[in-house]
Amino acid sequence: MLRNYFKIAWRNLLKNRLSSFINIVGLTIGISACMVILIFVRYESTFDGHHSNADQTYRVVQHNTLPDQMVYWNTTAYPLAEALRNDFPEIDVVTQISGPVSRVFKVEDNFGNVKRFEESQVLFVDAYYPKTFNIQWLAGDSNSALSGINSVVLTAELAKKFFGLEKENYNSIIGQTIFLQNKDALTVTGVVANPPGNSDHQYSMLIPYKFFKINNEYFSMNWSGNYQGTTFVVLRNAKIRETLEKKITGWKKKYLNPQDDKRISYALQPLKEIHDETLYGSSPGGYIMPANILNTALIVALFILLIAIINFVNLLTAQSNSRSKEVGIRKVMGGGRFNLIVQFIFENSLVIIGILALSVFVVRILLNFLNTNLSVIDVQLELGWSHLGILLLIGGLTLVLAAVYPALVVSAFKPIQALKNNIRFSGTNRFNLRKSLVTFQFAIVQLFIIAAIVLAMQMSHFREMDLGFSSDAVVITETPEFEKLEVYRERLLGDMGINKVAFGSGPPMAVDGFQLGTTYRLPEQPQEKSLEAEMKIADIHYLDFYDMELVAGRNFLGNKEAFDEFIVNETLLKPFGWNAEEAIGKRIQINEGQATIVGVVKDFNNNSLQNEISPCILLNWTYYQSNAFIKISDANHLSLGVIKNIWEQTFSNSIYDYHFLEDSIEKEYMVENLVFTGFGIFSILAISIGCLGLFGLMSFMISKKAKEIGIRKVLGATLFENLSLFTKEYIGLVSLAFLIAAPLVYYFMNQWLEGFTYRIELSFWMFLSGGFVTLIIAILTCSFQSIKAALANPIYALREE
Amino acid sequence: MLLQLRNIFKWVNSGGQRLFLLKDINLNVEEGEFISVMGPSGSGKSTLLNVIGMLDNFDEGEYEFLHEPVHTLKEKHRANLYKEYIGFVFQSYHLLDELTVKENLEMPLLYKKFKGTERRAMVADMLDRFNIVGKKDLFPTQLSGGQQQLVGVARALIANPKLILADEPTGNLNSAQSEEIMGLFKQLNSEGVTIIQVTHSEKNAAYGSRVINLLDGRMIK
Repeated sequence: MLRNYFKIAWRNLLKNRLSSFINIVGLTIGISACMVILIFVRYESTFDGHHSNADQTYRVVQHNTLPDQMVYWNTTAYPLAEALRNDFPEIDVVTQISGPVSRVFKVEDNFGNVKRFEESQVLFVDAYYPKTFNIQWLAGDSNSALSGINSVVLTAELAKKFFGLEKENYNSIIGQTIFLQNKDALTVTGVVANPPGNSDHQYSMLIPYKFFKINNEYFSMNWSGNYQGTTFVVLRNAKIRETLEKKITGWKKKYLNPQDDKRISYALQPLKEIHDETLYGSSPGGYIMPANILNTALIVALFILLIAIINFVNLLTAQSNSRSKEVGIRKVMGGGRFNLIVQFIFENSLVIIGILALSVFVVRILLNFLNTNLSVIDVQLELGWSHLGILLLIGGLTLVLAAVYPALVVSAFKPIQALKNNIRFSGTNRFNLRKSLVTFQFAIVQLFIIAAIVLAMQMSHFREMDLGFSSDAVVITETPEFEKLEVYRERLLGDMGINKVAFGSGPPMAVDGFQLGTTYRLPEQPQEKSLEAEMKIADIHYLDFYDMELVAGRNFLGNKEAFDEFIVNETLLKPFGWNAEEAIGKRIQINEGQATIVGVVKDFNNNSLQNEISPCILLNWTYYQSNAFIKISDANHLSLGVIKNIWEQTFSNSIYDYHFLEDSIEKEYMVENLVFTGFGIFSILAISIGCLGLFGLMSFMISKKAKEIGIRKVLGATLFENLSLFTKEYIGLVSLAFLIAAPLVYYFMNQWLEGFTYRIELSFWMFLSGGFVTLIIAILTCSFQSIKAALANPIYALREE
Repeated sequence: MLLQLRNIFKWVNSGGQRLFLLKDINLNVEEGEFISVMGPSGSGKSTLLNVIGMLDNFDEGEYEFLHEPVHTLKEKHRANLYKEYIGFVFQSYHLLDELTVKENLEMPLLYKKFKGTERRAMVADMLDRFNIVGKKDLFPTQLSGGQQQLVGVARALIANPKLILADEPTGNLNSAQSEEIMGLFKQLNSEGVTIIQVTHSEKNAAYGSRVINLLDGRMIK
């Protein structure tokens, strides 16, 4: 029996090659896209879940109560770890990390050849780190490797890069020496596997915390500041979290001064919630994938799958027209409805299982593509056995919806009508199931297209908004040696293609996660009145370089080792109620010292556009002028080569690196870009699947309506009139779908836009153009085949059998 | 008595009027008869055949088949009845294009739960009897009309039915092919199979033992 079913199924597939192809391609695209999204969501939602202590591990986060707001930090003061370890026996392990940071290394091989490398993922970790987080050791002793001072643990990838290892003989490099920043000798004490992609702890080498502390003595003893140390605790039992948090609240006054004790409170954040919680911002070197984005992705995945399934079902039921004769014969020959249901379910399942297998291959290709080409975030997606569940889930859903339903429809045909090919699937005017499915499909397609349009508008708004400073053609390089700044500047300006050069701590907008924080108050105010502000180190060329406008006062006169002048933005003045003129000459106290306001600069976007402009202070300090800003004028960027030469000539012991400011600004919109890219891709997918379905449906519609067209043509209908026979129905359905989709998109997009301080207004044309695009595509798809039908000689259509 | 129809009425409602397809049909069929149903197009011949074959319902009257009251039987029971005792032959053959001759013959057996070995034997027997062994692996489209109908008859016979219902079995065939099929029916009838055929042709009707004339759903003398 099964063999018979199998034969029929196979021969039918071959017989209807075009529709089989459409069916298979459509569903394969849908299932693959859905799987890729689910794998991505799983990847993002299992961040750091692989550690065996993951359920009991918490990050210590810091809440700062300021007079006008709460500020949340994911880093804590450095001494906290040691204190927690000593005072709380109920905490199993306390570990603290710093970084990742970028450092330059020198490696000398046995033949005396010296190589230099810049490594951007250097993580300082203490000896408790391997007890908290799972690390796979390839060489070295996990207990002692990180307890020394001048030691280093390399990842396998880096070990190969540094020492040119060809085989995996990692033990051979234990005891070798590498030099940090050209001075400190570090001994290799271990080699570990590269951390998995879905971890917020990305490192290429581990250096003992003790080394870091010795080199940063002031920071490491300071309780009130916050210098990017991240503290993790492993609790014996997750239940004690709340009692422990309360205990810590009472305990912290032992170390904090009274003001800090009032300002600072600590909380424990579960390790598994770190990656999708936006409150504390992204951890250094990591990124946040907000939970609502993942939820949206899941909905998108479901929709794509539904579109594809609907296609499949629609095509199968339409196709069943051609199977009606078979149903009739089988029933007359004694086949019961149950037999036929089994047969068609078997047949459809066979196709679907084939499609699932095909999808697995497509998914693998897509994942590889994403891993290498997704520029917005760096992912390492892999298809593994753990995704079997996802495959089964999707497969199961598809089987139930796409195999069972058509089988039920087809098997219900009455034998006599079926034999006469007289089944009425759809009265042309009734609103039947197929039309509702097509409408639903179009609604989803329009939802995607309109959303993509809105997202594109918001993204271009980000890119084109006046930021209050100019960011065109700005190249940023590091300046490792402060004493050589003027030499560097002069050499640079010697090139024809370079217009301006300025130095400072960072560009006007805080990018790449780098922002110097401080607090400010009037000198006579008590410390607890301090407000949060951003500080930037600038030089006398900074304002001119970035075209920033002074609304009062003057520019700096020069940079000093002890700064004495401030230029502040307008927002900073608001709490004091001063206007720009009044502010000139006033003195302000910040954490780092006191100085006079000499200028007020017009507000510029010192934060990326999701956030508002915050108080900002420019200092004429010589300290921290760690970046050079170089404006190049030639369009071909020929000066880049010149900059490199000059840089290497000037700072001979370091490795050259540069980036464009505009690229860094773009990176601030990582999540938005990802969402936009996603919606772009998926609206194209949705349209393609929808079109495939429409194309398939049309071939059946045409075969059904061939006679009608013939009669109309004989009676004098024009080509256009005959075409409209097909298209008018779909125009109706697309319009109806638009009415369903538009309010939904309006609601969701409004919600999404509310997250931004600087946002576009939703306007009518975005919706209309989305609907219009869908309509045009639908009409084109319909016309493609109906033109042929409408042009055909009516004799053939009207000939009786 | 093989079957008995008593006062059978069948109608459809069209435009507020009751349109009769069958009107007061009374018919007794004995085993071993060869009946031809004749009449102009639309007179209800096919409808009558479908009612007898239990593929179609009727609105009034009584139908007994081998002393079972068909009009009171449930759908499933009825299906079992025709599955076991009735074979159908159609004007346009209605073979499954996707199956070979052999597979087409086997198909009804699948639904009657015959075992594989039994099925093969029965199919081989039938191929032999109809002299189409050489064609067993061909698809219907590779056969002439006459050969297709031959397969159609073979398929109807394969499960040894008591009654064969043939709806214009030669309607699509040329005269030589027609004669072959009718000769076959005659032979089957002589072997004891009851046959009811619908036909337009006096010549074909002559093969039968009795003629029933229909006009506007009514039996006339």
